[in-house]
Amino acid sequence: MFDLLATGAKMAVWMTVLLSVTPVMVWVERRGAALIQDRLGPNRVGPLGLFQSLADAVKLLFKEDIATLESDKFLYTLAPMLAVVPALTTFVVIPFGPDIEVAGRPVSLLVSEAETGALLLLALASLGVYSLVMAGYSANNKYSLMGAVRASAQMISYELALALSVVAALVPVGSLRLDHVVSYQQGTWWGFLPHWNLFPQFIGFLVFLIASFAETNRLPFDLPEAESELVAGYHTEYSSMKFSLFFMGEYMSMATLSILASTLFLGGWHLPGLDYSGWWVTAATTGLLVLMAKAALFLLLFVWVRWTFPRFRFDQLLRLGWKVLLPLAIANLVLVAALTVSGVL
Amino acid sequence: MSSRGAHPRHPAPYRYTIVERLYLPLLSGLWVTLRHFVRNFFGRGKTYTINYPEERRLYSPRYRGHHILTTRPDGSLRCVACFLCAAACPAECIHIEAGEHPDLNIEKYPLLYNIDMLRCVFCGYCVDACPEEAIIMSNNHDMAYFNRGQSVVTKDELQKPYAYDESRLGYRPHYPEEQAQHAALRHGLVDLVEEARRQGADSASRTAS
Amino acid sequence: MEWADFTAGRTGDLHGRAIREMTNTTNTRRDTLFDVEEMELNFGPQHPSTHGVLRLKLKVDGERIVDCYPIIGYLHRGTEKLFELHPFFQNVPHTDRLDYVAAATNNLAYVGAVEKLIGLVVPPRARYIRTILCELQRISSHLLWLATHAIDIGAMTPFFYCFREREIILDLFEEYCGARLTLNCMRPGGQPFDLPVGWGERCAEFLDDFPSKIDEYEGLLTNNRIWKKRTVGVGVLPADLAQEYGVTGPMLRASGVQWDIRKAMPYEAYGDVEFDIPVTYNGDTYDRYLVRMEEMRQSVRIVEQCLDKLPDGLIMAKSPRVLKAPKQSDAYFSIEGPKGEIGFYLVGDGTPNPHRCRVRAPSFMNLQVVPILAKDQLLADMVAVLGTTDIVLGEVDR
Repeated sequence: MFDLLATGAKMAVWMTVLLSVTPVMVWVERRGAALIQDRLGPNRVGPLGLFQSLADAVKLLFKEDIATLESDKFLYTLAPMLAVVPALTTFVVIPFGPDIEVAGRPVSLLVSEAETGALLLLALASLGVYSLVMAGYSANNKYSLMGAVRASAQMISYELALALSVVAALVPVGSLRLDHVVSYQQGTWWGFLPHWNLFPQFIGFLVFLIASFAETNRLPFDLPEAESELVAGYHTEYSSMKFSLFFMGEYMSMATLSILASTLFLGGWHLPGLDYSGWWVTAATTGLLVLMAKAALFLLLFVWVRWTFPRFRFDQLLRLGWKVLLPLAIANLVLVAALTVSGVL
Repeated sequence: MSSRGAHPRHPAPYRYTIVERLYLPLLSGLWVTLRHFVRNFFGRGKTYTINYPEERRLYSPRYRGHHILTTRPDGSLRCVACFLCAAACPAECIHIEAGEHPDLNIEKYPLLYNIDMLRCVFCGYCVDACPEEAIIMSNNHDMAYFNRGQSVVTKDELQKPYAYDESRLGYRPHYPEEQAQHAALRHGLVDLVEEARRQGADSASRTAS
Repeated sequence: MEWADFTAGRTGDLHGRAIREMTNTTNTRRDTLFDVEEMELNFGPQHPSTHGVLRLKLKVDGERIVDCYPIIGYLHRGTEKLFELHPFFQNVPHTDRLDYVAAATNNLAYVGAVEKLIGLVVPPRARYIRTILCELQRISSHLLWLATHAIDIGAMTPFFYCFREREIILDLFEEYCGARLTLNCMRPGGQPFDLPVGWGERCAEFLDDFPSKIDEYEGLLTNNRIWKKRTVGVGVLPADLAQEYGVTGPMLRASGVQWDIRKAMPYEAYGDVEFDIPVTYNGDTYDRYLVRMEEMRQSVRIVEQCLDKLPDGLIMAKSPRVLKAPKQSDAYFSIEGPKGEIGFYLVGDGTPNPHRCRVRAPSFMNLQVVPILAKDQLLADMVAVLGTTDIVLGEVDR
């Protein structure tokens, strides 16, 4: 009973974080874009336009739900649901705080203590491509189809680089569990440099970052929905809540990858110098806040990059994925493995 | 970049430097956007957007917006229904029906003066054509109609808007602040005519010789 | 016309050879491992990056464009016929609506043709004012081009930066003639208004500031590797092909042909000012971008010189009340517009109306090479090529 409650509470925390990330990120994205572009941005709904996303959500709820006549209705409805599922499930293996003790019982702030942690995460994350392919295929629209083709090629080729950079981060730890990755990264080198994977595995970090841009279909890799070429790509025909589910899925997978990046490379919820040994509520809150602050850095980077760069072309994107990122990721993996075997890491 | 001799020259394919191959110039783009972000975040930048219905730009005194039919001091329309504006209109959007004015000195007045605002191209030719300064323009540009019938604006409505608000006047024949400039131009006119005469005399003498 | 006729008859092998020689960015090899079925794709008339109502019938083999067939006419308004129904001076507002992002140059081309037909001599002050307006218009047109081109390739921020500066130019226009886009700012024989008090100072202020803004756009784009990847070697237009198709303007100059009517046949005040004509030799999308960026800088130079040299005096020629063309007369007058050579051919028949008016629209001529440039490129290049052609459908369809 207690375990069930604890798991429910942990899931509730993650759900709250992930579901609130979309409206907040939309606001940050739009206001940030306005600041970059010398504009005002949304400023009508609520103070500083904070409730704009809320108003948009209400608007989207009340919009007509349109499906084209010859679309495959089953897949057409399933696709937007699948877009959210991987983003909402990957968090189960990501820890957001230290092991705490509630009412005399030990609780680890990690929903699933599966030994296959990172493997499960990668498996769940790779489900994301199905939703895009289904959406593009079922809508019976040529632009959607091209978006789906692009999405499948892009996400599969960047998943390799992504996975290899994750594996490299796991090698020195010797475990697939992400809470072990975090505990490995505690402490410092020479007293001032945090013992983060970022420093020895900078190449892996870069590969992970670039691949996560591609995995989330963000500029400069937003080819599946390149609006100047494919109108809106795989979700051209979607409207109403179905469209907003894609929207949410994109932002949530952005958040998931940001959290994963901070867990793998920036020490997760742990920050050297902070005290996590106090009351369990403070410990958990501090852990969550530190993790969110680190993830926010990545999210801001996503926004910043989006408003700066042009888009790659399809062949260039694949070339970059297969010819640059994959060799780099493999080289990084070999390097890290060699360093680990020789005992440096 | 500038002119480098005659064409055609052979194309020179681009060679990427090592810096470019490493995607390092992307950093300069990031620097531009970051600079703007930081400057605007701390309120130092200049934002060019205005909150439109509440804030308005300063419109030019020559703005060609909604038309105004001007009135005489006694409140009657200055228009004498001479049809010059209707004739000058490239969009043929002015419809006038003339009636006989009770005052013998004035001769005619418009029974009907309709402008179809959806046809109008806001070229200002009616203002140029008017000999009585009876039609001028305002800087009002928010015209919205629910149907095409509403877009045909009658003389009562044309008389109404902003007729007495100097700040909302648009394109019109005379601007007090530019009187001095016009006077200077008239001096220029005299000079030019004299010069033309002189040139004419020159060429006449040349042909004579 | 059928697809096969269209490409076989017109493109020849000239372009294919040039493409193969000059670019190796695209894979032109046909894959025969699987059965290949080509898909027809309607690109437009309602598409975010056709810049209006252009419709391109594309045949695509996956992402690769096998064939491209532009279909125009969605914005046809019968402007040329409309010219015949109105007296000369009343047609100036119609020219605003041809290339609706560059009204001043259209106006100048038209009034220039009328002046040539009737034989009016424009006073020097009016000539200088016209030059200033046209060059500002060139800047604003190029800014709009850069904005949309950048957004086509995916960079959003230059769009807003460009519109920011364009806004100032439009404000200057509004101050001068009361309108922002459909300027109607010239008349046969001269200028309808003089420059407002203080206009020159405000314009000079903008010109002082503007080159630094160009640097800003270039900081975002010029050396950006992604931008270069998307534009270098894409849509290569060889100089001979460009000349065969009557391509003019920055597109021609990017192919290495130094042809600019402002220098070749100076009109208005262009003979009195110093400026360079940027020419590049690769003829690809990137070079067209470079040429236009440099043209903006040169336009700044021209306007600055014109403001310095602005003579006093009349702005309107002494002209008859009713402009009538001589019987059986005709005149062609063309100028260098932002998109290329824009010209008007007028035939007079002794009445106040032109008997016939023919518009030589640069966008129309430039659009003709798009199918050739797009062939064997990828779908994403189509957008880059179309963006860099800088077409305005109001002018193409007329």
